[in-house]
Amino acid sequence: MVCQVCKEREATIHFTNMVGNKVEKIHLCHLCAEEKGFDYLKKSSFGMGDLLAGLLGNASGKVKTKQVRRGCPNCGTSYARFKKVGRLGCSECYDFFKDQLMPLLRGVHGDTRHLGKIPKRFGKRVTLQRRVHELKEDLRRAVELEQYERAAELRDEIKRLTNSDENRDETCRQ
Amino acid sequence: MSAVKELIGKPAEWLSGENEESELVLSSRVRLARNIDKLPFTHTGREKVMADICGTLKETLSSVRSMKGALVIEMDETSEPDRMMLAERHLITLDVVKNYRDRALVVRPNEKLSVMINEEDHIRLQAIESGLSIRQAFTSVDRLDNELDRQLTYAFSENLGYLTACPTNVGTGLRVSAMIHLPGLVHNKDIAQVLDGLRNVRLTVRGIYGEGTEVMGNLFQVSNSVTLGLSEADTVKNIETHIRKVLEFEKKAREVLLKKARSLLEDKIWRAYGILKSARLVGSKEAMGLISAVRMGIGLGIITDVPMAVMNEILIMIQPMHLQALYNKPMIPSERDRVRADYIRSRLGK
Ligand SMILES: [Zn+2]
Ligand SMILES: [Zn+2]
Repeated sequence: MVCQVCKEREATIHFTNMVGNKVEKIHLCHLCAEEKGFDYLKKSSFGMGDLLAGLLGNASGKVKTKQVRRGCPNCGTSYARFKKVGRLGCSECYDFFKDQLMPLLRGVHGDTRHLGKIPKRFGKRVTLQRRVHELKEDLRRAVELEQYERAAELRDEIKRLTNSDENRDETCRQ
Repeated sequence: MSAVKELIGKPAEWLSGENEESELVLSSRVRLARNIDKLPFTHTGREKVMADICGTLKETLSSVRSMKGALVIEMDETSEPDRMMLAERHLITLDVVKNYRDRALVVRPNEKLSVMINEEDHIRLQAIESGLSIRQAFTSVDRLDNELDRQLTYAFSENLGYLTACPTNVGTGLRVSAMIHLPGLVHNKDIAQVLDGLRNVRLTVRGIYGEGTEVMGNLFQVSNSVTLGLSEADTVKNIETHIRKVLEFEKKAREVLLKKARSLLEDKIWRAYGILKSARLVGSKEAMGLISAVRMGIGLGIITDVPMAVMNEILIMIQPMHLQALYNKPMIPSERDRVRADYIRSRLGK
């Protein structure tokens, strides 16, 4: 389905709007949704939680950093150009436009964390990072549930994993 | 263009009508989007850079095991009708039909595994299988991805995953889709509700030719819309679960139809079959509707003398550029309607 506003990009965001008694379906691409997000949100009939919160966050906060004018140092793409074509210029753009992209990604995907496959060259480090992240979540829950013994175990495990990571990094540098 | 002719000379293997649920699911497709680290994405890169990327990737692809014996088709060397035909076969996108400089298609002769070079992303891996076989398609695309990973430096970030030109693909870069045939739900009008249900679980539903196309022949393309916060395995499991649910609804709708209005349904199916076997002029939209009825007839065991594979092949072959290629000349639409009818009659016997 094509976006109703730009009639160009594919509509990835669909919501139902109530205008009086009339139900209206709206199909937008991520960029137009981001732009229109604020108005649609006010009238929207059901809460899509994260999705609209993300859109709102971006629509209400005007982006006026230097980055916007300068453009990505690797490929020169400016934020204005990205908004126009809906595509980034190179892989480095993701880091350069991080602040503007994060709310957008949250809006489109409902999440900003990659949980999938990892290229070989990243393998060990990312797997370890994910394990530590999980353990920290478990730790938080354990503390909430006042399971202090379990929490202590988890804390030790996290410490062990993060230390060994640092150690390995050092040996690599030598 | 002998490579293109070689492809069109025989039907793609994924039309075989084999595998699970092939009466209801025409095909399962899995796509992975990948880019080379730090190099400009296709739409920003200068010609020279894009030509280099294209050259390197062609070389890499011809060296990996999964693509042994694959055909390499340079888009610069193809005609527009050839490219349209490749698009009708779901091997390239309409974008590549229009913007073909420094782009290439590398495809296994059975068409089940292919790679588009320099489409929106530097690399688009695709696997298509007959019926509901998403896992099988994922496995072959994943294997090819691993082989390429050994030789290329993919654009990847620890937090955001595989970095793609469009932020809607970032993360896994994975798009899983299935083409499903739902005449029962269209007939009993439950379809709108079912499609809404799919959209609510963040799946996208489109017509047979993808983005922005209308639904024809009661064929719907269902795909995931989320690529972050979810592993590949979960994406595959999730869409498969929901598709199976929809298929159950479709089966129930057909059961009810048979119980309540058997002769009416049989009449509709036999008439459709009759028209396809005897018409002298048939437009593509009408043909799609008739094929849909015959497919359902085969699925319900009412029509038994045509294999599903033949209906699947007809579906591909009656598209404009395929007809033109088959009869080896450009045609105006009314001429195509005649040739389309001829072709269908020839495939259905008498
Ligand atoms: Zn739009
Ligand atoms: Zn850039």
